[in-house]
Amino acid sequence: MPACETKYFGRVRYEDGVTVQFAGGLPGFETLHCFLLLEDAARKPVVFLQSLEDPHLCFLTVPVWSVDPGYHLKIPDDDLRALGLAPDRQPAIGTEVICLAIVSVAADGTSTANLLAPVVIRRNSGMAVQAVRDDAQYGSRHLLLGPVEEAPCW
Amino acid sequence: MLVISRRAGESIVIADGIEIEVLETGHNRVKLGIRAPREIAVLRKEVELTRHENQAANRAIPSDLLSSVLGKLHR
Repeated sequence: MPACETKYFGRVRYEDGVTVQFAGGLPGFETLHCFLLLEDAARKPVVFLQSLEDPHLCFLTVPVWSVDPGYHLKIPDDDLRALGLAPDRQPAIGTEVICLAIVSVAADGTSTANLLAPVVIRRNSGMAVQAVRDDAQYGSRHLLLGPVEEAPCW
Repeated sequence: MLVISRRAGESIVIADGIEIEVLETGHNRVKLGIRAPREIAVLRKEVELTRHENQAANRAIPSDLLSSVLGKLHR
């Protein structure tokens, strides 16, 4: 069973065939192709998208439906092809694809999710893309959490 | 901002070697063709935004702040 170093969970063993493959990388990280999804019941709904090629790179993500239960996909044709899907229809979230939004946490704790560019992973093959929408339906900085207040010091 | 009106089939040229041609205009969409040297990156603006967001998402988060954020997001 292969194993890898991770940013938040130390050394993790994983089964062959569960990796997530971004043939073209992600915008800004075009040279990283191979990732692992890590979940922790105590951290739900956050899903950790850990790079297998860079142990220090791990995106925090949340399922798009945990942010917006009405979220619908609009994957551009090129990205559908990269997923091995025909360009005439959008895949179903949940049954066909896992759909995650990458979370950014600012220095004051303000957390936003990128609904403009969901990470879409095919369940049956692990093929993945970050599918940047070409409509203006969702923003790249959807607010999840405002500033985190400091606990008062007594 | 420089504003220029163009019809399908017409182009604009930027500096040396970058040409943007209007290929098709629809009622809410314009199809553009872009000719540029290989070393010039041509990206949809949304992709550029996502590149910045991804880099921001990869900034180190102090571990106490991270636990607090994960705690608040937990359901």
